Amino acid sequence: MTVSAQGVAREGVIDLSGGAGPLVSQRWLTERLRDPSVRLVEVDVDPKQYAAGHIPGAIGLDWAKDLQHPTRRDVPEPGVLAKLLGERGINERHTVVLYGDSANWFAAYAFWLLKLYRHADVRLLDGGRSKWLADDKLPFTTELPSFAPETYRIGAIDLSLRATVAEVLPLAVAASARAGARTHAGADAGAHAGAGATSLVDVRSPDEFSGKIIAPPGLNETAQRAGHIPGAISIPWGSAVNPDGTFKTEAELRKLYIEDKGVRANAPAIAYCRIGERSSHTWFVLRYLLGLRDVKNYDGSWTEYGNLIGAPIDKA
Amino acid sequence: MKVQVESERDLQRRVFDSVLDMLPDVDNPTPLVRVRDAVPSGSVLLAKLEWMNPLGSVKDRAAWAMLRGLEEAGELGPSRPGRGVVEPTSGNTGFSLAALASMRGYPVRAVVPAKVPLEKRLLLRLAGAELDVTNDALCPLPGAEDGAIGLARSHARAQPDKYVMPNQYENANNTLAHEHTTGPEIWHQTGGGVTHVFAALGTAGTAMGLSRFLKAQNPLIKIIAVQPSAGHDVPGLRNVSELGVSKLYDPALVDRIVEIPYERAYTRAARLLRREALRAGPSSGLIFEGALAVAADEPIGLGVMIFCDDVLKYTASMAKHLPELGDAGGPA
Repeated sequence: MTVSAQGVAREGVIDLSGGAGPLVSQRWLTERLRDPSVRLVEVDVDPKQYAAGHIPGAIGLDWAKDLQHPTRRDVPEPGVLAKLLGERGINERHTVVLYGDSANWFAAYAFWLLKLYRHADVRLLDGGRSKWLADDKLPFTTELPSFAPETYRIGAIDLSLRATVAEVLPLAVAASARAGARTHAGADAGAHAGAGATSLVDVRSPDEFSGKIIAPPGLNETAQRAGHIPGAISIPWGSAVNPDGTFKTEAELRKLYIEDKGVRANAPAIAYCRIGERSSHTWFVLRYLLGLRDVKNYDGSWTEYGNLIGAPIDKA
Repeated sequence: MKVQVESERDLQRRVFDSVLDMLPDVDNPTPLVRVRDAVPSGSVLLAKLEWMNPLGSVKDRAAWAMLRGLEEAGELGPSRPGRGVVEPTSGNTGFSLAALASMRGYPVRAVVPAKVPLEKRLLLRLAGAELDVTNDALCPLPGAEDGAIGLARSHARAQPDKYVMPNQYENANNTLAHEHTTGPEIWHQTGGGVTHVFAALGTAGTAMGLSRFLKAQNPLIKIIAVQPSAGHDVPGLRNVSELGVSKLYDPALVDRIVEIPYERAYTRAARLLRREALRAGPSSGLIFEGALAVAADEPIGLGVMIFCDDVLKYTASMAKHLPELGDAGGPA
């Protein structure tokens, strides 16, 4: 079977042997469903999915209610997140395995959030919810887990994983200036950022990148202006996954992100999208599947940048 | 009035013992009617009026075939008391399935994407279905299962005693319904003279079933799929790029795919009503456009177009795409 063959190959490449890596297979998880050191957590785009059924023992977290600051636009405060996780039976020593719908889209956001607060051992289930659902032999239930409350000792926020507008704006201004220099002095003059320069990866849809639309239809969170951050590379987040929701192989990802699209392998990278969730998925790809050392998620993303007065914007 | 029904159906007097006996087959086909407006001379196009199915769309055929299949397999019925069906649906399949399953005494849960208009959701409730409304994938992945399919599958997986999922995207009976009824009807109604069949793709069940049956009768019959342009807004249809959700689609069974700018589905449907008194819905408008595009390239000896359903439940969509309808005087 190609799927399992690919899984084995990937485990070899990024050292998942023995379950040491951040991306785990269904088999790895089925062997640990009753392991008291493991807590399985489902985070969906649509929370109705968890209520309709989930992997036995999975704790359901709602990305909008549980994993956002209730008032300001921000991640939850550490005390609030620690209380929530503790109440649901999770402590900071647990191996937390995340999965969700839409190819782990919001599960990857939860992964980033837990890493932001320095949770030591976080994993992502390859293929997420849909691949598990597709296999009738794997258990599935509506029964809610009941773990005894724990005390979760949360770490200080790790700013090396989070880009702010203060970091992004100078990159945009510099890229814009380089493009201006090219226009005035010919294609070769000062055209390219240096080899060590930060790669900006825009993971939104091509129409959002080009500025044809500001946001996908029907979404409330939007911006005043359409387009993308100057210098950004367009790689829609879904390019990283197969139709069954599993991640592509390390070789395929390397070809796409680094060889074809020009993400610099030995330089910092920043991923952004519209509200900072889709980009968590790409952040995971760049940091853990391609092994880039310095990768940040710009969670302000387009709904912050596209509202800034005077910020340079590129279209098309 | 005293009506005597001698057998289950009296086709001459059109008296039926139940709606189930009205469902079309070769002895009781849905009508074929010639369409002349805009058809170049040398081509003959007939519309197969699937809105004449008892519940108003082509989907009666698949819905009933899938329910019967589940009953015959013992997945529904006396051996599974209390078990009902759950299905992801954008409208017609759900409506047919809900009414037919309710009639047979099975509970129905329909999982509907939020983009489905309120009028269609209300029809599902009227037919007895419980509804789950899902948020559409905000940035859908090509080929990935959308939220509605995943949620319906979840109910069936987590509560198998309560639900079985017919799954029109995978159920072979969806295709077989057309192999056993629509195909033989067309063959018989045209006296074997059909040369082209035009169908749209949603689950691809219609096109696949028709192709299997008709090509077995005459391999020269052309099966032409008509698809809306990418990014379309035609309910119930898919562009081939979105067909990953269907396990039924086999490109080898289609001779040609004609892509039509989707806005023309609406203008053409309106014109069919005004010129031919055919109450064709947008998907039928699209199919007719596809047939006209082919007729511009080659004469169509005898073309049959599958007109899936009528325009009556699409007035809001029609108004959105045909600004000349105006606001019809504002809210009543």
